[in-house]
Amino acid sequence: MEEMPEKIEIRQRFPEWREMLKPVKKFEEGRLSYISLPKQVDSEFFKMPFGDVERDLHDLKLPENWKELFLEAMKETLEKNRAFKLFMDICVRCGACADKCHYYIGTGDPKNMPVGRAELIRSVYRRYFTLSGKIFGKWAGARELTEDVVRELYYYAYQCSLCRRCSLFCPYGIDTAEIVWWLRRILSRIGLNQRFMTISIEASARTGNHLGLLPGGMAGAIQQGLEELKDVTGFDLHTYINKKGADVLFVAPSGDYFATPHWFVMLGYLLLFNELEEKYGLTVTWSTYASEGGNFGTFHSYEAAQLLNSKIYKEAERLGVSFIIGGECGHMWRDKHQFINTMNNPPKNEEWKRFWENPDLGELAEGLRGVRFDSYASGEHGWIHILEFTAALIEHKKITLDKSRNDHWAATYHDPCNVARGMGLIEEPRYVLRNVMNKFYEMPEHTIKEKTYCCGAGGGLLADEIMDLRMRGVMPRMMAARHVYKKYGVNILLTPCAIDKAQFPHALEYWKIPIEVGGPMEMVGNALVLTAFGEKPEDRQYDLRGEPLNKEEGE
Amino acid sequence: MIGVIFGVIVPYIAVAIFVVGVIYRFINWANSAVPLKIPTTGGQQKSLPFIKRTIYDRFDSPYTWWETVGRMILEIFMFRSLLKNTRYYLDRVSQKDARWLWLFAILFHYSLLLVLIRHSRFFLQPVPEFVEMLSEIEAFKGVFIPSVYVSGLAIVAGLFLLWLRRIFLSRERTLSLPSDHFALILLLAITISGNIMRYFFKADLEKVKELLMNLMVFDVGKAVAIADSIEPIFYVHFVLASFLLAYFPFSKLMHAGGVLFTPTRNMPNDNRARRHVNPWDSDPSVPILAKGITVGGKTFTSKKLDWDTYYSMYTDQLDEIAESDYKIAPEEL
Repeated sequence: MEEMPEKIEIRQRFPEWREMLKPVKKFEEGRLSYISLPKQVDSEFFKMPFGDVERDLHDLKLPENWKELFLEAMKETLEKNRAFKLFMDICVRCGACADKCHYYIGTGDPKNMPVGRAELIRSVYRRYFTLSGKIFGKWAGARELTEDVVRELYYYAYQCSLCRRCSLFCPYGIDTAEIVWWLRRILSRIGLNQRFMTISIEASARTGNHLGLLPGGMAGAIQQGLEELKDVTGFDLHTYINKKGADVLFVAPSGDYFATPHWFVMLGYLLLFNELEEKYGLTVTWSTYASEGGNFGTFHSYEAAQLLNSKIYKEAERLGVSFIIGGECGHMWRDKHQFINTMNNPPKNEEWKRFWENPDLGELAEGLRGVRFDSYASGEHGWIHILEFTAALIEHKKITLDKSRNDHWAATYHDPCNVARGMGLIEEPRYVLRNVMNKFYEMPEHTIKEKTYCCGAGGGLLADEIMDLRMRGVMPRMMAARHVYKKYGVNILLTPCAIDKAQFPHALEYWKIPIEVGGPMEMVGNALVLTAFGEKPEDRQYDLRGEPLNKEEGE
Repeated sequence: MIGVIFGVIVPYIAVAIFVVGVIYRFINWANSAVPLKIPTTGGQQKSLPFIKRTIYDRFDSPYTWWETVGRMILEIFMFRSLLKNTRYYLDRVSQKDARWLWLFAILFHYSLLLVLIRHSRFFLQPVPEFVEMLSEIEAFKGVFIPSVYVSGLAIVAGLFLLWLRRIFLSRERTLSLPSDHFALILLLAITISGNIMRYFFKADLEKVKELLMNLMVFDVGKAVAIADSIEPIFYVHFVLASFLLAYFPFSKLMHAGGVLFTPTRNMPNDNRARRHVNPWDSDPSVPILAKGITVGGKTFTSKKLDWDTYYSMYTDQLDEIAESDYKIAPEEL
């Protein structure tokens, strides 16, 4: 399906400053994202300005007064977002961020350095919004806004995965993700949107999830999961969907309903929920209306993010749940941790209010008393990450685990960028993994935790047409994975991120590292002993992938 | 005449531009809204009680107001983010520390601080004791005659090192704009002229102090009288410094104040405990796109998918789920 680049050659170029101000005219094969079609951005449910025209990068068909509109949108952005304005002003170009970007490392393109990327729009800012830029022009690093500049802005705005690694190293915290995110918003005001992300945004605005799954399809997918679990465990398991009066609403990225290896994580969720219901009476429901955790709107603009995440709190209120658990996803947790309760009013239903007055799971299911979330969460937000939830259950000894069921795996853990740098969820997954498996190894220190490298496909860059960029961007992560593969014999790369799980199988194949990809909840599912169903630790014969657990003995 | 222009008029204008400019920039930044709480988390969040946080986590991923202040102080006084710097090598998995930039930056900025403290003797009467003491300590009083101020030489060295980086490292050369070189050259000119005046062509510092004291109390008549009697070498230093003051608010040098405003550093990572309200979207009951956005006089409205709309679109399938009592179980075979 995808065209993999044959050979990657990283050519570093160091042009002089004058050339950096000139827009590039030649766009590399495999790095240029398609522009949206009218059916994506002129749809009833997602209507963007000037979305009714079919464009490509060589023929932008911009509205007549595009320059005026662009500058107007930019002025608005400067007023609406202090971060954007400040980051236009205070960069000193020290270069600390330059080699922190995986796309720069992989492409060698100087405009892919975070500072280079920001300078593309900063130079326009100087020309139209600062005195020195107006007077000294190019000598103050300013340049005219032309159609070529707009092309270049589009080209590079969609070569950033909003991973924020540069922001960590910047002495002023300049966050390229913030600059690029709002730049994409400005571009969308003159009709330029990226096709891959708007396909998903439009589908999610219309159906509730990125894949465009209708209610029956989603229920069917979950049902198939339950059937597979029957084969693996031998038990008749069940789950709820759209159920009013459930204790918890569970929201996962829609990739989990179909894609592999996301699927095995989904099986892990189902096992955990069944054990909790059977043993303690805690009910968890899925929702077809709020069926998308991952929010591609967060790649596009504040408004698009809000449009998509507005459904979830409403659904929590309609169903009358007490709190929300979110599944394994990367950008989703930037959205669900930092954005959602600013972009929306939190639920106001009685159950929600009552629970958050004393957020002890014992209030919902007596046996779970002692598991509390008020050390960091409140009813003004109400989301708990599935791995935080699992970690708490493990710590309070509410679930029984058999580590040895994961002995056929030697795992390493990849921190998704936004989970690490937009949320700070670093130790919880490791706590869970150490409790569900015996063989867990870390990748080199400078590639994990808050310094984690991006998978190269986040931020809307999971598009097939930019495969070259993706395979280059993932290179630092792959080198780290190869290191632990050789050193410890790691055979699975675990990551709680749907986009990672989609990108890594290609990347591992491309970089020729023969290991699998999975999610932490799959390992939890393997290790979880369904004591409430009468399961004994030694009963389970297969793991969630259907592989026999005791290979040596069987053969 | 030269004395009056460069000793009285120019500094007044420069200081006025500096004060007004800096205040303008601060107000200008403060007037922009902060729509979202977006700290860059550089460590473990505060979460469940048994998930331990180190002291570093508390500053890199602050939860309370105090931790956030601590993060800002470390950032401003220790350049903590720069201290994390690494360099990527294409040919190996390992990393090497690349903290030269941090070292040069610290060298320059702390020398600058010491130099400024020393210069306060020209503006304060009597000279505070700690200024005297600091000057004596850094000059190793008694070792050299005349005493040599270390900070005055270190600042030149720091500036040269920072500039050489921009000239000889290919990546930094590509990034540097003329204004980046200009700021360094200007600072070099000021510091070198200051050193020359200190060690070679001496100016009458008593008079300089008298001039500055009179300028400060706006006794223009006296200032004019003194100004003409000071040696020209002083004015080289003085005019350049005045120019720097006037240039400051309009340049990247404003990073000195801007670092205080940066939302990725000065906000706590407590999103789930305390809600942040977006000033331009303070009642988000209806998404902005559903209200419609206006661009170029035209309004673009996206239809809102509320539950009722959703139900009317997919009634059959949703009813089927309701019929099964919202329960999904494996199909009976």
